[in-house]
This record gives sequence, C-alpha cells and structure tokens, in this order.
Amino acid sequence: MDHSNDKRGSGLIVDRRELMAGAAALGLGFSASSARAADAPKKGGTLRLGMEGGSASDSLDPRTYADSIPISYGWQLWNGLVEIGPDNNPVGELAESWEAKPGAKEWVFNIRKGVPFTSGKILDADDVIYSLNMHRGETKSGAKDLMAGISDIKKLGSHQILITLSSGDAGLPSIFADYHILIVPNNFTDWSKPDGTGAFELVTFEPGVRVVTKRKKGDYWKKDRGHFDGVELRYIPDAAARVQALISGQIDAANRLDAKTVSLVMKAPTVNVVRTKGTGNRFAWVALCDTDPYQSNDMRLALKYGIDRQKIIDNVYKGFATLGNDTTVAPSQKYFAKDVPQRPYDPDKAAFHFKKAGMADAKIELQVSEGAFSGATDCAVLYQEAMKKAGITLDVKRVSGDGYWSNVWLKAPFCAVYWGGRPSADNQLAQTFLSNANWNDTHWRRPEFDKRLLEARAELDDAKRGQLYAECQKMISEDGGMVCFAIGDYLDGYSKKVMGAAPHPHYDMCDQRVAEKGWFA
Amino acid sequence: MTIFGHRPPLTARIGLIVVAFYLLVALIGPWFAPYAQSQSVGDTWAPSSAQMWLGADQIGRDMLTRLIYGARTTIGIAAATTVLSFFIGITLGFTAAVLAGWVDVVLSRLVDVILSIPQLILALIILGVFGSSIPVLIFTIAIIDSTKVFRLARALGMNLAVLDYVEVARMRGEGLWWIIRSEILPNAMAPLISEFGLRFCFNFLFVAALSFLGIGVQPPFADWGGMVRENSAAINFGLFAPLYPAIAIASLTVGVNLVVDWLLSIDARPSGSQAEM
Amino acid sequence: MLRLIATRFALGLLTLLAVSVLIFICTQILPGDVASAVLGQQATPESLKVFRAELGLDKPAYLRYLQWLLGVLHGDFGKSLTNGRVIIDELAPRFINTLFLASYAAVIAVPLAVGLGILSAIREGRLTDRLANILTLIAISVPEFFVAYILIIVFAIKLAWFPSLATVDSDMGLGMRTYVAFLPALTLTLVVMAHMLRMTRNSVLSIMSTPYIEMAFLKGLTRSRVVAWHALPNALGPIVSVVALNLAYLVVGVVVVENVFVYPGVGQYMVDAVAKRDVPVIQACGLVFAAVFVTLNTVADILAMLANPRLRRRR
Repeated sequence: MDHSNDKRGSGLIVDRRELMAGAAALGLGFSASSARAADAPKKGGTLRLGMEGGSASDSLDPRTYADSIPISYGWQLWNGLVEIGPDNNPVGELAESWEAKPGAKEWVFNIRKGVPFTSGKILDADDVIYSLNMHRGETKSGAKDLMAGISDIKKLGSHQILITLSSGDAGLPSIFADYHILIVPNNFTDWSKPDGTGAFELVTFEPGVRVVTKRKKGDYWKKDRGHFDGVELRYIPDAAARVQALISGQIDAANRLDAKTVSLVMKAPTVNVVRTKGTGNRFAWVALCDTDPYQSNDMRLALKYGIDRQKIIDNVYKGFATLGNDTTVAPSQKYFAKDVPQRPYDPDKAAFHFKKAGMADAKIELQVSEGAFSGATDCAVLYQEAMKKAGITLDVKRVSGDGYWSNVWLKAPFCAVYWGGRPSADNQLAQTFLSNANWNDTHWRRPEFDKRLLEARAELDDAKRGQLYAECQKMISEDGGMVCFAIGDYLDGYSKKVMGAAPHPHYDMCDQRVAEKGWFA
Repeated sequence: MTIFGHRPPLTARIGLIVVAFYLLVALIGPWFAPYAQSQSVGDTWAPSSAQMWLGADQIGRDMLTRLIYGARTTIGIAAATTVLSFFIGITLGFTAAVLAGWVDVVLSRLVDVILSIPQLILALIILGVFGSSIPVLIFTIAIIDSTKVFRLARALGMNLAVLDYVEVARMRGEGLWWIIRSEILPNAMAPLISEFGLRFCFNFLFVAALSFLGIGVQPPFADWGGMVRENSAAINFGLFAPLYPAIAIASLTVGVNLVVDWLLSIDARPSGSQAEM
Repeated sequence: MLRLIATRFALGLLTLLAVSVLIFICTQILPGDVASAVLGQQATPESLKVFRAELGLDKPAYLRYLQWLLGVLHGDFGKSLTNGRVIIDELAPRFINTLFLASYAAVIAVPLAVGLGILSAIREGRLTDRLANILTLIAISVPEFFVAYILIIVFAIKLAWFPSLATVDSDMGLGMRTYVAFLPALTLTLVVMAHMLRMTRNSVLSIMSTPYIEMAFLKGLTRSRVVAWHALPNALGPIVSVVALNLAYLVVGVVVVENVFVYPGVGQYMVDAVAKRDVPVIQACGLVFAAVFVTLNTVADILAMLANPRLRRRR
C-alpha cells in the first residue's frame, strides 16, 4: 500500500477502470459490483444503512443539515435542482436545463415538467422559487453564504425562472447541488410531514435512532433509479460497532470506515469496500495571520516545511489519504493548480525560516480535538515529532470536542480544522480565503486574491479561468496561514449483494444517494 | 517473609510483588525505556519484534516504552485522586452519620444534587471554568468520586454511631473529631479499604475518559486507560495492541486487591475460622 | 416510618428543584448555545441571529427558566430547540428502554454478585473466592466499550448467537427484547459485578471478628450458617449502599454501552442534547436521572434502617 500515493495522477478521481486496476495491483477486496453495472437493476428489498454523522437533535428541515445522515435522508425524500455527475460536472435534477446570458450574471433555469410531490402536487416554478428563497435573506440556513450572490429570482413561465446575480458567476449551477437546497412545495412549513419529489416517503423519523422510508407508489420520475422497496437508516456512531454490524450482516452498508482498519475489513468475505481517493475531508492546521507569532510569513513557512505529511498519511491514515498542498483544493478537482510544487518535509528549511522569523522564544501551541476530526491528536503528535527535528518546540493541547467549532476554531491562534469537498474550486476557495468570508479561519486577507477570484468567477473562457484559479492557489500556498497536510479518502463498506455502488467525486456513499442509486443482486 | 509481624499467604505475596514491581517501574522505569515516549519508530500496530518487544501503538510508537512511561502518570494520578476523594468522602460521611439531624440532611441532599448532575456536564463546566491541567483533573475526579465514598461512609457510620460505645463516648462529651477518629474509623476500616482498592482501579479508567474530553493528561504523555482507548479499534481484527495496557491495568488491579484482601484477613480473623492458607 | 418517607419525599422534590436550577445554570455557563451548536462550522453571525430569535433565546435566562418550570409543573416538558419535537414523546420510550436494560442487568448482576460475595466470604481464601474475585476484577480493568467489543467478537461474530446491534423498538415483544438486549445487559453485568461482590464479601468478613460471631462459632455453628444468619444481616448497610450506587449507575451511566450497541436509551439522547446545547432536553433528562438517584438513595436508607433497628430509634 506504500505506492498508493505516487499513483495520483492529475485530474479526476479513481474511475471505474482505474479502481479495478488499482484494486488488483494493491490486492484489495474491491467490489466487482460496479463493473457489472450493465446488468439490469432489480427491484425490491430493504436497504439497511448504518451511518455515522447525525444525532438525536437532527431535524428534517434542510436549512439545519450539517452532517451525513441528514444529507442522506434529505436526498431520499427530496431532490435538488442540480446534482453532481460522476465526472464532477453539474447535471440537471429537477432543473432540466439552464443557460447563462453573456457575463454569467443572468441565468435561465428550465424546471422539469410532470414531477409529482408525495402529496400529488406537480412541481412548478413557484415551488422552486420558494425553496431557493428559504436560504436567502433573513434565514438560519447553512447555505446562506452560498446564495449571497443572488440578487433576484423571477418567474418567467410556469416552468422557467430567471436568476440574477450581483456579479457574474460561471459556476452557479454547481451551487444548487448543495445538500441544503432541496426543492419543497410552495409555502411548505410543516417539516414533520415531509412532502418531496424523492424516490421515497417517510415512514418513521426517530432522530438519533433510525429513519425509515419506503418507496412511493407508482414509478419514480427518474426511470433508472429508486430500486429498493424501502430504506432503514440507523445511527451507529461507533466506528467499530458499524464495521462489526456490516461484517455480521446486520446492515448492508456503512459509511466512514476507519482508515486504520479498512485493510482488515477488506478481508471479510461478505464485504466490499469502495474507496474514493482524495475527495474526502481536507485535514489542516490553521494559523491566524493577524496574530503573533503567525504574522510573519517566515513563521508560517516554518510551520509548512516542518510537517512530515507522508509520515502522517502512512501512520494515521494507513495510506488512505492524499498529500495536501496547503490549500483546500484537491488534486481531484477541476482547476487544481498542478504547477504549484508539492511542499516537501524539509526540517532544514523549516529551521531556516523559523530563525529568520526571529521569534526563537515564541510559544507555538497547536490546539487539537477529536471533535475537529478523528485522528487529529495523532496527527498533531507526529507533527510535534517532525518539528522537533527542525529544532522547533510545538506544544500540543488537546481540547474538548464539545463546542469546538464555536469556542476554539476561528478563535485559537493555531488549531485543527477540516474542510469538506465542494463541487467547484470556486466554492472551495471562496468560503475560506476571501477577505470577507465568514469562515476565513486564517484571517488571511489579500485584496489581490479577492480580485483574481472574482475575475475567475465571471470568466467564461475555461483556460483563462483555470489560470486565474491556479494563481489564487499559488498565493495561498506561498503566503497563507493554512497547513493542509492531507486529503482523506472516502471509505464506504457494502455487503456484496449491494449493486451499483461506485466512487463519486462529490460525497461518499455514492454522493449520499446510494438509497436511490443502488439495488440488490 | 513476615511483614508487620504477619506472614503473608502466597496470594498476598504475589500481590505485593506485582504492586512493588509497578511502583518501581513508575519510579525508575523511564531510564530503562528503549525509546523516547513520543518517538514514532515503526508501522502502525507493528507486531512484536526483537526491536519492539510488544510491537507498536496506533501511530507507530513503541508499546513497551509507552507502558513504562504511562506507569508514572497512571499510578500517580490514580493514587492522588483516590486518597483525596477518600479524605473528603470519609470526613463528610462520618460527620453526617455522627451529627445526624439537619447536618445529615444538608450534606446528603447536596450529594444527591451533585450525583444527579450528569458527569459529562460537570466535567465540561470544570474544564470551561478552570482550564485543563493535571491538578484540575485530580480535583475533578476526587470531588466526583468523593460523593460515592460519602454514601458508603455515611452508611457505615450510621451503623456504628448508634452502637453503645459511641453513645457512651458522646455522653462523655467527646468531640466530633475524636469520635470519628477513635470510635468510627477503626471499626469501619475493612469495607473502606476494600472500597479503596476498587476506587483506585476505577480511577485508571476515569482518568482516561476525562483526558479524552481534554482534561488533564495531554499528548504525547501516556496513560494506560488512554492507551487502551486509542488502540481499541485493533481488537476487532485480532491485533494485540490494546491488550497490553489492559493487561497492565488488570494485573495491577488484581495485585492491589490481593493485598487488600490480605489486610482485611489480618483484621478479621475470627478464632473459629478454619480458612488459613 | 411513614413520616420519614413523607419527609424524604418532600426533600426529594426540593432536591429535584435544586438540580434543575443547577443544571440550568451549568448550561448557561457552558460556552456556545443551541444556535451555534446546530449550525456548527456553517454558522454565520446573521444566521445565528435569526435562529436565536426563532427559538426565543433573546429573552433573559431567568425568564426562560421560569417559563420552563411553569411548563413542568403543568406536566409539559416543552419542545426540543433543535428539531421542535415534543420532548416527552421522545424521552418516554427511551426512558422505558433505559429502565428495561438497567433492570435486565440488575436482575442478573445483583443476585449473582451478592451470592458470589457471600460464597466468597464463606470460602475465604479458597479457590472459589480467588477465582470469583480475580475474574470480576479483570472485567473492570478495561473500559466498558472494550468489554463490549470483546463480547461482540465472541457472541455476535464468531458464534453468531446474538446480534451486535441492540436497537429495540416499541413493537418488540418482551422475549425479543430480552434476546436483542442480551449483550449490552451482559456487558453491564460484568462492569458492575466486581464492586458489589467485593463489598459483600468484605463487609461480611469485617463482621467476622466481632465478639458475637466468635460466640456463634463457639456454639458450634458451621461457617456458612454463621455467615448467612449472623454476619450478613449486620453487614447489610454498606452492601445496600453500594448496590444502590451501582443500580443508579446502570440507569444514568451507560451511555458508552448504549453507543456501542446502538441501544436507544436516555444516555445518548442527553449527550446529543448537551453537544447541541438543547437546554430543555438536558433539563428533562437531568430531572429524570435525578429522580432515579433520589429514589434509589432513599430506598437504600430505608432498607438500612430496616436491617438495623437501632437506626430507627434516633429519628
């Protein structure tokens, strides 16, 4: 498994062929199910999912979704306007097609016709406008920032809307693939009785325990999806318990397999593991660029050269991760800057920059928590050891996972963070690195960067756009406060009888849509 | 071999040897550890080898080294917390039992209140207010634990406080402290020692649970309970890593309690008993 | 005795009130609130403001507490702040599950531990005594989730006798529940056995050196008879107190076991509520747990008095 990292080509994620070849080369128990995708899917059976990523506080209101389990049941019950295709490009879901006017400031979306809600109502433009507006203006929605660029939404016809942006954005459609933005009927408010266009309708909602759905009567509007009779999603937060339940056949699929033990899980004869390379969480330390001692770029460079990324990937992630290059854009994403050299572990350079920064007595304290991401403490301890070789003392402070995001992150001068993958390089960069971004967790503010990112956004020429995004990434890598050292693999486990499960560049568990995509052999 | 004029039976001798061994490791072990305590020298969960007798832990550190370093933290903190919690719990428990009346009502209900607040919330509050350090860890565990010691000490004290000789002492005008020390404590010793032996061992794991929340032992320092926790996933696949710290805890637990049993048997050796080994 | 119970009942209610105030204060001290916890990493200042206003968190804390208290006095625990679900509907089935698991484990553990404890005392120093002690001690030397893992490996994976997921639901009959919840109950049994066993054994042994026991031996009674009829009744106080502590633990302290076996009890519900700062849910769980503590401690005190008539004279 040692060569799992140098195989990383540029561009896309492990596709079907590469997956099979990789599996053979690595001797891993990867699924043959995806290769037989040509076999006609069968109907029937109840899919039993065992997942981590939710709690007893979960709600059906998509504005509050923030983790895998709500995302999964959200897409069982509802649909979005757009979904992300296997090649990482937006494809129409409830939007049949769209078109940008020159400058990408005005967009026309054509809504699919004849799609019924559970209640029997047929989808139209008013439903879409109402649903999009739930995330705009005065709202608690987690998608508020994503939608902030929209200045107006107008109905053009019964199934056509016009969206006007405050400045051009060529990547608008992929924003609508966000899991918060689900399409509900006009004026819908009673979330305890969900009414959606998804393949399934709700049977039982017991947050923290289980969510049960069943297939709606009649044909699903997507002809090639929605094969299971029903889905039973159970909350299994303990990683070991999840794997045991999968191996012993009590569930059919499990998310977030532990990278440390996944090679052992593959030995189980009844289980397939689907691995999506380098599209998972971006694991990083973030230093506040306006707080000492991190105001000095030399200090920040010392932090970046002083981390042994490969060692962390080998020992904490057992090779199931990709090297990070200090930005949140992954090699699997379009517009990843291939020309920015991968930063190596170089204790001498780290020592050099540390000395140059002239703060030999500075206290460098890294705050970590298992609440930031699991394995954070182990990564930090290995970081500490690597820094020691550069003669730099790094204090590691483990803090409570409770309230980590509200008390430590964005406040501590140097702490752990993870960033999920976003559908486009633009979302990815904008949410963290724009000067006025709410989640600018490095306090890195460069007007030059902002200018380039907004320029790229409105640029319709693909090559020029890519050039601008590459420059943005270079600036962050050379000057920013983020030490992004690894990008995790998504690791899902499936029983061998589950068919249609394949890696997806957007999210794990087939883009969290395994319920409507899969079927039983 | 005789200790305090008693010849310990075989089991007690085993217990004494185990306890003495771990104390020795805690005191001087680190000088003999093969590696530095935070040095990653092998593969994750590497099997045992000539270089690493017990293999490696979850990020490739030498298991034996971690165990040796962990002895000091684990035993030191557990001993300090248990002594402190018994001091608080016994003092208050006996006071409540002897004085009875409103003192008992107030103390008992107070303990009910503290016991009723979920430990997670209590721990988070303490963490938030006092920050994270080893003394905070020791006080946190001592206070939470002392409520349980209080319940036991009060129950013991109540039974003794109504006996004739205590009544007599009270009528003599002896002070509270004298009654507790001279009349109650000696007669409640046996169950208390027994409880001490157990609480001491419970605290190994309590320390680990709180460290996990961010109170007290900070990485890269090792504690045995934390080592079991961090390596636990390996057990599902038949890897031994979490068993070594578990065995360390188990053997010390058994050792301590074998010694406790012996101390009790010295105290409670009725003439009619035929069980002598 | 009746007057005592009445007094204790009144004091119990007072304790519950104190607990609810204290827990409320604690939740106010804890940094962060439900809005920031639910939105987590996605929170923005504007979305937080909207969320807080929606939940009425802009009102002063004491007012929110009084409102809550008024509701509880009318038997209304309110709605969850995070997902607007009626708390009593969520809590009641979970509390029944928790009580079921606790009783299940207690029915196995208490007689077994006390019985073995007495046997150990009778056969002090013999093989039975040593084995019972050492085996139960080993079980408490590892964290409870680790005990759970090992039981799962043996009974769910290797032997495949019992399921590793113990998700019970309201449609299950008693037989099915008992079967499904066997592994968590066994785990809890192993976790609480040692404490009760050793306290029973050692309390009994501590009585053995008293003059009246010597007298009983001099009368020529066998050791087992002396232990059972003379020593045990006088050792009951501490035994009952430790049993009560462990029963309380079985109700309120089992979140880790719930977690591993995916057992829908109150523990996980409360932990999730704490993580999300869902104050009314924390309050409701806290009250239920406090009621369990108070009841068990009261029962323990009363039993101790029944066992020792001298205690009754003093009140």
